[in-house]
Amino acid sequence: MMWLKRLFSRRRLYGELSEEIREHLEEKIEELVAGGMSREEAAYAARREFGSVTLTEEDSRTVWRWPRVENMIEDVRYGLRVLRKSPAFTAVAVLTLALGIGANTAIFSVVNAVLFQPLPFRDPGRLMVVWHTPPQKSFPGVTKFVVSPANYLDWRDQNHVFEQMSAVGFGKFNLTGMGQPESVEGRAVSADFFSLLGVQPVLGRGFLEEEDQPGHGNVAVISHEFWQTHFAGSRDVLGKQIKLDDKSYEVVGVAPAKFDFPYQAKLWVPLAWTEKKKAVRGNHGYIVIARLKPEIDMRKAQSEMDTISARLAQQYSADDAGWGAVVLRLNQQMFQQVGPALLVLFGAVGFVLLIACTNVANLTLAKALGRRKEIAVRTALGASRGRIVGLVLTETVLISVVGGALALLLAHFVIEAIAEFIGPQLPIAVQIGLDGWVLGFTLAISILTGFIAGLGPSWHLTKANLNESLKQGLGKTDADSSGGRARSVFVAAEVAVSLVLLIGAGLMIRTLYLLRNANSGMDARNVLTVTLGISSEKYATVTQQNGFFNHVLEQVRALPGVEVASAVDSLPLQGGSTQPVAVEGQPVVPMADQPEVAVRLIAPGYLRVMRIPLKQGRDITEADNANARPVILVSESFARRFWPNENPIGKHVKLTFLPGEASEVVGVVGDVRLNGLSVTEPVQSVYHVMAQNPETTFMRLAVRTGLPPANLISAVTEAIHRVDADEPVVDVQTMEAVVDDSIAQNRLNMILLSAFAGLALLLASIGIYGVQAYAVRQRTREVGIRVAMGAQPADVFRLIIAQGLRLATTGIVIGLAASFGLTRLMASQLYGLSATDPWTFIGVSIVLLTVALAACFIPARRATRIDPLVALRYE
Amino acid sequence: MKNREQRDLFPGALEMMILRTLKRQPLHGYALAQHIKRTSNDLLQIEEGSLYPALQRLLKEQLVKAEWGISSTNRRVRTYKLTAKGAKHLAHEVSRFEKMLDGITRVLAPGES
Repeated sequence: MMWLKRLFSRRRLYGELSEEIREHLEEKIEELVAGGMSREEAAYAARREFGSVTLTEEDSRTVWRWPRVENMIEDVRYGLRVLRKSPAFTAVAVLTLALGIGANTAIFSVVNAVLFQPLPFRDPGRLMVVWHTPPQKSFPGVTKFVVSPANYLDWRDQNHVFEQMSAVGFGKFNLTGMGQPESVEGRAVSADFFSLLGVQPVLGRGFLEEEDQPGHGNVAVISHEFWQTHFAGSRDVLGKQIKLDDKSYEVVGVAPAKFDFPYQAKLWVPLAWTEKKKAVRGNHGYIVIARLKPEIDMRKAQSEMDTISARLAQQYSADDAGWGAVVLRLNQQMFQQVGPALLVLFGAVGFVLLIACTNVANLTLAKALGRRKEIAVRTALGASRGRIVGLVLTETVLISVVGGALALLLAHFVIEAIAEFIGPQLPIAVQIGLDGWVLGFTLAISILTGFIAGLGPSWHLTKANLNESLKQGLGKTDADSSGGRARSVFVAAEVAVSLVLLIGAGLMIRTLYLLRNANSGMDARNVLTVTLGISSEKYATVTQQNGFFNHVLEQVRALPGVEVASAVDSLPLQGGSTQPVAVEGQPVVPMADQPEVAVRLIAPGYLRVMRIPLKQGRDITEADNANARPVILVSESFARRFWPNENPIGKHVKLTFLPGEASEVVGVVGDVRLNGLSVTEPVQSVYHVMAQNPETTFMRLAVRTGLPPANLISAVTEAIHRVDADEPVVDVQTMEAVVDDSIAQNRLNMILLSAFAGLALLLASIGIYGVQAYAVRQRTREVGIRVAMGAQPADVFRLIIAQGLRLATTGIVIGLAASFGLTRLMASQLYGLSATDPWTFIGVSIVLLTVALAACFIPARRATRIDPLVALRYE
Repeated sequence: MKNREQRDLFPGALEMMILRTLKRQPLHGYALAQHIKRTSNDLLQIEEGSLYPALQRLLKEQLVKAEWGISSTNRRVRTYKLTAKGAKHLAHEVSRFEKMLDGITRVLAPGES
C-alpha cells in the first residue's frame, strides 16, 4: 500500500519541494545582499550557483515516480496531439503502414496456420508418413511413392519402431439413395486409423478390428460436414444405411468438426482387403501414416525401414527390387505443396513493409526537421537525448499501431480469398484467420515498424547541433544538407527494394504467360468434360461396364452441336496412372526393373476430341473391340526411346498389370503434357483401348463441340441420366477450365506478388516525390540565385530531374544486384525462363525509372517557377 | 544535462557526503550545501540544486528523515536528520569507499613496480 499512499501524497510532496527550493534561493540571496551585492546581482548569482531550478525540481520528482511509464504516457498524449494537428501527414503515414502491415498480417495468417500450428491430432510430433522411394531407373527424379498393400502389411508386422501404422486409400464413391446422386470423397482406412491419430468420433465410434476383414467392412464413419448436410445433424444417424457405389454401409460414427484428413475426406470406410488384394505387391496406391514409439527417433525409424526394405527387396525381387522407404514428418507434408510459394510471398510482403517503413521514416524526418526549433528548445531546457528519441519514437509507434489496427481490417478480406484457394491443397483443414497468434504478430510488427521508422529520424535529430538549430529560422534555409542526405539514402533503398519485388512479379507474370501459351500437345478449346464413375456392384461384368460407357457415348454423340465425344481415364495436365511395361526389343527383366510409362485408357475418337495429332499409323476405332487383337497407341517420345531407328508400327508392348497378350502398336501420336503445363520433359505414354480393358469403372467423358461448351452441360447431363438415372454427374468442367485449374497456384502467386509489387512501386514513387519536393523547397534560395544569374527554366528543370535520376539509378543498380541473388530462391516457381531473365530485368528497370522520373516531374516543374525575387527574400 | 556525471565525482559520492554531514548534526538544505562546499575547501564544485534530487533519493530510501521547522534566521525550513538505517548505510559506504581508495592509492603509489 506504500505506493498508493505515495501516489496520493505526491502533490503535497512536490509543493514542499518547490517551497524548499524557493527558501533556499531566498536565503542565499539574502546572504549575498548582506555581503554587499545588489538584490538583482544577488538573485542572478544565486540562480547561477543553484543551477537549473526546473531541472532540479524535475529530477527530484523523478525520484518518486516510475519515470519511464509516466514519461511514456506524457509522450503518448503529446504524440496524439501532434498527430491530430497534422491530419494529412497522419493519414498518409497510417495508410502507408496499414497497407504494409496488412499484407504481412494476411500472409502471416496463412504461414501461421500451415506452418506453426500443431496438427489437431494427439502428440502430432510423433506422427510420420512412410513413403516408398521408387527405383530411379524407372522413376527418374521421383523421391516419394505410394505403397502397395503387401508391402504395407510387411512394414506394419516387421517393424519395432512404430506403435501403429495405418494405410489410407483414396477414392470417390457414388452416393445414391439420398436425393440427387453425387460423388463423395471417401477414404479406405485400416481399423486403427482414428486411434492412431488420436481422433475421437463425436458420435458413435471408429472402426473395430473385425470390420477390417473382407465381408465385414460395410460400415462408415462420416465427417461432421457430411452429417450436417445429409442428416441435418440428427443424433439418430448411427445405424442408418447409406449407399456407396451401390453397396450398403452402416453409419457407425461421426468424426469431429473440421476433421477431413486426408484431403477433404467426407467419409471413411475400412480397407477390408481380400486375401488376393493383400498379396498385391507391385501395384502401389496407399498412403501410409504411422506413430513413432515414444523412445524412438526418426533416424532410428528410418534405419529400421531401410533394413526391412532391403529384406523385402531380396525376398520379392520381382516386385520390390530397388524400392526403399522414407520416413517423413506428417507436419512437413503439410508444408510441401504450398511452402515454397508461401515463403516467396512472405519475403515479398516483408519488403513491402520495409518500403512502407522507409516512407514513414522519411515523412517523419521531414516533419521533425520542421520541428528542430521546438526540439532545440526542449534540449536547452534540459530534455535528455533519451526523452527526445522517446518523443519521436512514440509518434511513429502510435502511427504504426493505428495503422496495424486498420491493417487487420484489410487483412480480413485478403485472408478469406487466400484461405479459399489454399485449403484444397492442404492435407488437413486448417483454420486460416485472425487468431491470437496473428493478432500478436500484427501488434508486434506494428510496434517494431514504428520503432524502425522512428529510429532514423530521432537519431538524426539528437545529433543536430543545438546552437545551430536555435540560430536558424524555421528550417527554411538550405543549411541542412544532412537531413536531405539521409532521405536520399532512404529513397535509393526504397527504389532498390521495389525493383526486387517488381522483378519477382515480372518473372511470375512472364511465367504465367508462357504457361498459358505453352504448347500442351492438345487443343483445350470447345471441350467439355464430365466425370463418370460406376460401381462394380451394379455393373459387375466388363460387358456391362463397357455397355454403360458406350451407351452414354452414343447418347452424347447424338446431341446437336457435338462434334466428337470420347472418354479417357485421366485428363491431360492432371497426371494419372504410371505402369511398368515390357517393350518388344528390350531385354526381358523382372517387373521392378521394367520402365515405367504413363498409361491412359481411351475410347475411340479421343485423339479427335483433344486434337492430339496422329503422327504415324492409324487411330483406334470401334473395330478394336474385346474380340479383336489388342492394339495400343504410343507417343512420339515413347517410340523415340524404345525404337529410335525402327518403325514402331507393328511392334508390341505388354502392360504388365494387365492379363493377356501384348498389344500391337498401330499408331504414333504427339506427346501431350499429361502431368501439367510446367512439366516440359515429354511424358512417354501409351494409350490402350477401353473395349479391351478387363475392368473399367471410372472415365472422364470428353466432348468437342462447335458451341460454347458450357451450353452443352444440361443436354449432356440428361443424356447420361437417360442411361442411368442414379449416375452422379460431377466435375463438369470445360477443358480450358482444367487448364486454368492446373496453373491456379501460379496465377494466385502472380496476382499476389504483382499486387505487392504494385504497392511497393506506389510507395516508392510517393517516397521519391516526397524527397524531391522537399529538396526543391530546401534549394529554393539556390535556385533563386541560379535564376538571378541567368539560368533558364530548362536548366533548373534538368537540375532537379538529374537529382532524382541519380537517386533512382543508384537504387536500380543496387536492386538489380540484389535481384540477381534473390530471384534464385523462386526458381522452382518459374517456368520457361531463367530466374535472371534479362528481358524481365531490363524491362522492369525501365518501368521503374520511368515512374521515378514521373515522380520527380511535379517538383521539378515547381522549381522552374521559382521567382528569384521571392526566393532571395525568403529569409 | 551533459555534465551531470562530472559533478557527481562517482555515483553515490554526493549521497555519502550528505549522510556524513548529517551524522554530525541535522541541517536544512541550504546549510547542508554551504557546509559541504566549505568543508571541501570549495574543491567540489557542486551545483547547489543537485543536492535536492539526492535528498529526495535518501528520503525515499528512508536513510534520512525531514521535518519542517523555523531556522535560526527565522525562516521556514525543512531540516534533514540521519535515521538509524542511514547511519548503518553510511558506515557501510564509508568502509567500501576506504577500501576502494586504499586500492587506488596502492596502484598510484610510485616506485613499487
